[in-house]
Amino acid sequence: MTVDMPVSLLKNPELKFGAITFFAKQHKGDTCGSNGLPLTPNSIIIVGNAQLLKTIKSPFLCDFLDIIRGKHERTIVVSQYCGTPLAKIIDKHVLTHLQIKKIAYQALKGLSVLHKLDIVHRNLSNENILRQENGDIKLFNYGLYHMTNRGALVSFPVLEVLYTAPEVYLSGFDSGHVDKKVDIWSLGQRIRKILSLLQVNTSIFEKIAREHNCYEVYLNLPADLKELIELCLNIYPSKRLSCEELLDKLYFNEFRDIQEQKKMWEPFEVFSIQELYYWWQLAGGDVFQELKKQGLIRSSPPILSLPSLVLIEGTLLGQDRNPATLYDPRIVEMPLETLYQRFIHIPITAFYPLIHSKSDIISSSDPPPYDATGLPLVIKEKDPEYQFHRVILFRRLLHGYPFTKDLIRQEAEKDIPPLLRGDVWSALLNVPQGYERDYMRLDKYSHTTTDRQIEVDIPRCHQYNELLSSTQGHKKLKRILKAWVYKNSQYVYWQGLDSLTAPFLYLNFNDEAKAFACLSNFIPRYLHKFFLKDNTVVIEEYLAKFSQLISFHDPQLANHLHDINFDPKLFAIPWILTLFSHVFPLYKILHLWDKLLLCDASFPLHIGLSILTQLRDRLLTSGFNECILLFSDLPEVDIEKCVIASMQTYQSTPRSITSREHENEQFYKKNDLDIRGVTLEELKKESCPRISAADIINTVRKNPDKILLIDIRNTTLFHRSCVKGSVNIPFSSVSFNETVLDNLGTHSSLIKSKGDKVVAIIGDCETDLERFPNFLLQCNVSRVCVLHGDFNRFTSVIPTILTSGTTN
Amino acid sequence: MANRTGTAQRPNGQTQGKICQFKLVLLGESAVGKSSLVLRFVKGQFHEYQESTIGAAFLTQTICLDDTTVKFEIWDTAGQERYHSLAPMYYRGAQAAIVVYDITNQDTFGRAKTWVKELQRQASPTIVIALAGNKQDLANKRMVEYEEAQTYADENGLLFMETSAKTAMNVNDIFLAIAKKLPKNEQNTGQAGNAQGRRLTEGDTGPRAAGNCCK
Ligand SMILES: Nc1nc2c(ncn2[C@@H]2O[C@H](COP(=O)(O)OP(=O)(O)OP(=O)(O)O)[C@@H](O)[C@H]2O)c(=O)[nH]1
Ligand SMILES: [Mg+2]
Repeated sequence: MTVDMPVSLLKNPELKFGAITFFAKQHKGDTCGSNGLPLTPNSIIIVGNAQLLKTIKSPFLCDFLDIIRGKHERTIVVSQYCGTPLAKIIDKHVLTHLQIKKIAYQALKGLSVLHKLDIVHRNLSNENILRQENGDIKLFNYGLYHMTNRGALVSFPVLEVLYTAPEVYLSGFDSGHVDKKVDIWSLGQRIRKILSLLQVNTSIFEKIAREHNCYEVYLNLPADLKELIELCLNIYPSKRLSCEELLDKLYFNEFRDIQEQKKMWEPFEVFSIQELYYWWQLAGGDVFQELKKQGLIRSSPPILSLPSLVLIEGTLLGQDRNPATLYDPRIVEMPLETLYQRFIHIPITAFYPLIHSKSDIISSSDPPPYDATGLPLVIKEKDPEYQFHRVILFRRLLHGYPFTKDLIRQEAEKDIPPLLRGDVWSALLNVPQGYERDYMRLDKYSHTTTDRQIEVDIPRCHQYNELLSSTQGHKKLKRILKAWVYKNSQYVYWQGLDSLTAPFLYLNFNDEAKAFACLSNFIPRYLHKFFLKDNTVVIEEYLAKFSQLISFHDPQLANHLHDINFDPKLFAIPWILTLFSHVFPLYKILHLWDKLLLCDASFPLHIGLSILTQLRDRLLTSGFNECILLFSDLPEVDIEKCVIASMQTYQSTPRSITSREHENEQFYKKNDLDIRGVTLEELKKESCPRISAADIINTVRKNPDKILLIDIRNTTLFHRSCVKGSVNIPFSSVSFNETVLDNLGTHSSLIKSKGDKVVAIIGDCETDLERFPNFLLQCNVSRVCVLHGDFNRFTSVIPTILTSGTTN
Repeated sequence: MANRTGTAQRPNGQTQGKICQFKLVLLGESAVGKSSLVLRFVKGQFHEYQESTIGAAFLTQTICLDDTTVKFEIWDTAGQERYHSLAPMYYRGAQAAIVVYDITNQDTFGRAKTWVKELQRQASPTIVIALAGNKQDLANKRMVEYEEAQTYADENGLLFMETSAKTAMNVNDIFLAIAKKLPKNEQNTGQAGNAQGRRLTEGDTGPRAAGNCCK
């Protein structure tokens, strides 16, 4: 295998991209909206609008890649850019009529894709039609009119003067003329231009041809081409044909067959230009720098932009108009050499990772996988090569979803490539096929009583994020929330649902239905019953469990918090109700939820615990006020540490310790040996958690050295029958007056040296099941829990874990 | 350890003016600007995209009033009606409350009146209540007349000011007016039920009531 093979996979002449840049209109001074708050900057609105362009796929359109905001409303559009502009070609070559017809056909195909999405190109010129090596064409720069709200957000007109339809001039540039047929006019003009015809008599076309002294050429045109141009150049938009109508013309038949049949199924791409662009960025590619290097972005000293006069109300006078606010048609192509170099040693096999049926022989011939284990997550996410392998792999796995569900999960346990996170999450959340239809059916528009609350919450929800603060972002979030409320009539909108939805919308900005489907599957799994109109018992149970989990893992901290009356109710409600999406910025939530989605509904308790653990030293030395202030203003919590710590306690905690009555049994099946029927009152009285008989049996059988069983029944009963390996500290023998472990007599040393063993207390109806565990807790003994039910639970278990206790 | 008023006791026993701590709670419909008022008062800032409040948030601020230092322990509550059931936890034991409405929205004024009634019935009888008509900077969109609110405040013995968290107008003033009205001698302080040492989970106490005045 030669080394340059793989690079040639990357070095595809169509896998190239370029950027253009312009300025969005700046709002004057500090103008405010009707709510007294500053207006959304136009560049942010543009960013929101432009996202839709990312979804457009057509062989005749350049793929839209990215939109970047700079300072002072600068906006940069990154898009596929490959081939040669027609303008350059027709300078040197004469195209045959057949070639011209093909160009017209393909341009119409491209336009019809846009028109179906209500996007008008408005910018069709021979500069924006790129001819590929194989003779096919791609339209470029078709998104400007759409993303700028039909030109309203920029201070230059979005049009190509020579090719623009007459009605645009009639109605004025700013009237937001949207008729798609302006594109058809431009197309007609363009074909005419290619024929270097400049004219027309009875027809516009003939007139133009005459005016340009090309009447002869006009007369010699084949009838079909002539007709086509004339149809395009009809001055009445209503009579001008649409893309679809034009495409139906017989003279396009010769192109139709080959193109259309391919569309039977979506071919699997090994990687896409979006991914190439992503790797390019990771490998140091920087659009902004390239634009600077090539002189498209120039910074002038700020002093030059000072106005000569500032009126007291803030009006500026005498400021030079910055010529950069006009449209600059230059396109800067991005250099790919660095990326090619960086990936030069990647073998071709890496593009086709084996997933199933790995035989030893094959895998031994595999190149060693790129090793990044042990590197911090943030480093892994920035490593182009590692991300190359991850994206290639996940792309394949996702292609096979839902059949590859288990493999996706398995790989996600290592890490999730940020580029594909949206899809990986929805796979982890079991989003079913056909989710779009589901969403389409829901009412997202009728007025409801919740509307005001949703409306005031959305402009406060993760607004530092460009997508979520854009107009499109607001609209989408509102629709998703309303759809959710509509669909879940048993539930209501609680403030916080907006934050909870934000990560899903952010990741699936162009697939609202998927964002909704993710949310819809997420809530039953992690927040079952939390959105009931009266959720008091659900929340209180959860909070009580949280306190118990703190006691279980960190008795010293639990005792301190208890002493200063620092109740989780005062700070943890937003944590649990929004699963931290209200308290952390998005980038932290993403990493946190990457792990959450692999765990069950008890995981958030462990996240909470890990946050406390991270702040432990400060909490231990602080009083009530300082502690609560610490949480009102959550300081820099290191999320990676937090994730690791919560995973650790999650894995080392018997599941029944966090078992709740209000848990969704669909995801956590309980049987007779599990915990059931604990009332909220009982639960709130208990400082130490209960453990299920099932978990004890399991541990005694599989990891007997991980558990210390303390049987507090009286000695007679104990000797008659007890769990293997348990010790007997009869309840009546202990004096609880002082919190000193030595009071427990001979067994105290067992407890002192227990290490990280779980201490499970077994009693029966005669024993007090609160004082003993509380005593241990006060002595700072960790991992104390109490058997749910009593000793008799074990008698019917087969094979038995009991023995007659005489040996103890 | 649990005595939070300890800081106020000077080691040398000198009495250089009093230090008082008061628990103050903010109530009012969602998005009227409760959090914004607190942020302005405590940090002198205004965030246009102030996040909504879930549950409640706690902040403190100290102001000087003649020879007295007044420390406010502020509970900023969630405005959505659904969070109502949590509110007693915060206003019980409070010595002062600011009930906020948005002058551009009549409904929020109605909601403010409901809060006032509830406080009059359920909170400490000596609680000092202030009514704040916020977003005064949007006076051109006013839906609640100044006089209407003033009359209502007079009838109910409330302090009243129109405020703007955005421009800072009257923000410090309203807190100052409350501080002035609060009793600053020891007899008047323990009234709200000094809940120190009692557990919140028993359900009958709020976060520990402050209200200690130390000479
Ligand atoms: N124009 C103007 N806007 C304000 C003012 N105070 C707050 N706002 C805005 O009003 C919105 C709501 O303010 P918040 O402080 O979050 O309201 P809140 O009462 O705490 O709302 P909840 O937490 O939901 O109960 C935010 O967008 C603020 O920026 C003000 O004085 N003038
Ligand atoms: Mg608030």
